[in-house]
Amino acid sequence: MTSFLAQRFLSMLLTALIVSILVVLLVHAVPGNIVQQMLGQLGAGSSDARATLEAYFGLNRPMHMQYLDWLGELMRGSLGDSWNQGTPVVNLVLRAFAVSAELAVLSLLFALLVGSLLGIAAALFHDTVVDLGIQAFNVLGLSLPAFWVGAMMLVVASNVFGWGPPFRYAGPLDNLQLNAQIMVLPMLALGLFNAAAISQFVRDLVLEAVRLDFVRTATAKGASRTTVYAKHTFRNILVPLTSFTGVIFIGILGGVVAIEAVFNLPGIGRLILWALQTRDYPVVQGGVFLMAAVTLLVTLAVDFLYAVFDPRITYA
Amino acid sequence: MVVRTEAQASRRSSLRRRPWSLATVGLLRKNRDLLVGTLLTGFLIIILAAPGVWTPYGPNEIDTTRSLQALSAEHVFGTDELGRDVATRVLWGTRITLGMVALALGIPAVLGAILGLLAGYYRGAIDVALSRGVDVLLSFPSMITAVIITGILGPGIRNGVLALALIYLPMFYRVARGATMAEANKTYVEAARALGVRSGSTVFRHVARNIVTPIMIQFTILVPAAIQIAAALGYLGLGVQPPTPEWGAILNQGKNYMFNAPWISVFPGIAIVFSAVAISTLGRGLQKAFDPSAKT
Repeated sequence: MTSFLAQRFLSMLLTALIVSILVVLLVHAVPGNIVQQMLGQLGAGSSDARATLEAYFGLNRPMHMQYLDWLGELMRGSLGDSWNQGTPVVNLVLRAFAVSAELAVLSLLFALLVGSLLGIAAALFHDTVVDLGIQAFNVLGLSLPAFWVGAMMLVVASNVFGWGPPFRYAGPLDNLQLNAQIMVLPMLALGLFNAAAISQFVRDLVLEAVRLDFVRTATAKGASRTTVYAKHTFRNILVPLTSFTGVIFIGILGGVVAIEAVFNLPGIGRLILWALQTRDYPVVQGGVFLMAAVTLLVTLAVDFLYAVFDPRITYA
Repeated sequence: MVVRTEAQASRRSSLRRRPWSLATVGLLRKNRDLLVGTLLTGFLIIILAAPGVWTPYGPNEIDTTRSLQALSAEHVFGTDELGRDVATRVLWGTRITLGMVALALGIPAVLGAILGLLAGYYRGAIDVALSRGVDVLLSFPSMITAVIITGILGPGIRNGVLALALIYLPMFYRVARGATMAEANKTYVEAARALGVRSGSTVFRHVARNIVTPIMIQFTILVPAAIQIAAALGYLGLGVQPPTPEWGAILNQGKNYMFNAPWISVFPGIAIVFSAVAISTLGRGLQKAFDPSAKT
């Protein structure tokens, strides 16, 4: 297993390297750089001024040098300074990522809790009204765009209950109460869709696991219904559920941009969007690379947990 | 030499006895998802075919004397800030949003199938290279990919479709590659090889038609997610641009009036949910019909 993990890890590093090259290339492919934007705003445009500014940002250097500079910074754990704010990119990106990560983890927990319970209930009451109702919830939930649900929640909260989340963002460490008020609606909006996905997945898994030979044997030898489910069935859904949770988490992180826009959250998605619009290359590169790195690490962690949870899986 | 087994012969005669229309009716009666999905999707197609028939207004017909009006008999979904009829715009949006999604999934379905066939059948270097490329694509979270692509190419329908296509290419590739690898071990491939059929022809004539079903199933599974991402792009102002009545773009324009004229934001959302439910239900029905071993 160690050799498998080592191999997976090396493969991940190679992918990360390709990603880093692609990130820099893509960012530079965005038409118009920061110098053109600055000079455009000032209404000035002498070629001297442009050359000076481009030299200042290092934009006149060959592409591969700009990439290697950035890679060097990355290796030292720094990502340079933001061209717009002058502050270190690492701080900006990590602060924004913390907001998105909190939201993602909260909605994942909500989705796991609600989704597993519904999924198990649907399987236990297979082919009854309960099952049909939960399946209807799943189909509907999977079709709900999270950002729209969020917007509707804001409308109902404000127009019906006269309540709205605080305007200024507060982190969980600054002010937990304010933070909870800010996070509750986006958490529900994002969580609903994923609860439906998990519920559907768990229901199918349980129904499949119940048909397995050893479960039938357990029933035949007279084990109680509780034992059959708790000991024999649920244990078998843990492994696929783990890997599915990884997929869901990546999906949540990938979709936070729109929900951050609805709730005005200073998260990573909006930071990248804003940096891209202002051609702040170091911030875009740092932000996108961080997101890609997290995705790769979650995928690796899922592979690892897979091997830990299921002793039958060996990677020769 | 034609060898016809008994099973084949009896299947032919049973097909002759039941005309396809009756077979379809029988299928629909047994498969509730297929029935409901077909009805709902049919409804969408009717709207999509002729959105103008149902409404006296045009999608971009401005009437500033009637701006931001609530629901009424004349304007069943109300009006927006320019006095345009929201119901009309949502109806016309069906064509744009669903057309966008069809292209955004159709292009990667075909491309992913071709690449997956090549990687899954030939393996070796081509598989390593393509699979690595797909890993790279997958390591970008979906909306981030869309934001970067539309950032580089500019917002708009065409670039939005391109961004979505790039997001969904890996998923089709993986399905096609897996299915091809499973098919490549079957006897008909061995037979084709033994008969001296060129490998290109084996892949694209024999194997290809056997991976169509998993690709189609994947297509219908991805439709709800693709509708949502297309709408999210429009909402962020990166996809379809106003005044084009795409659902996401209507939501984007409605967000400034969200609290005093929520109807602008409510109905495009309901349209998104409705079409996602319709097409995914149809997809589940098709899945059951084509693959009876699928979980029910």
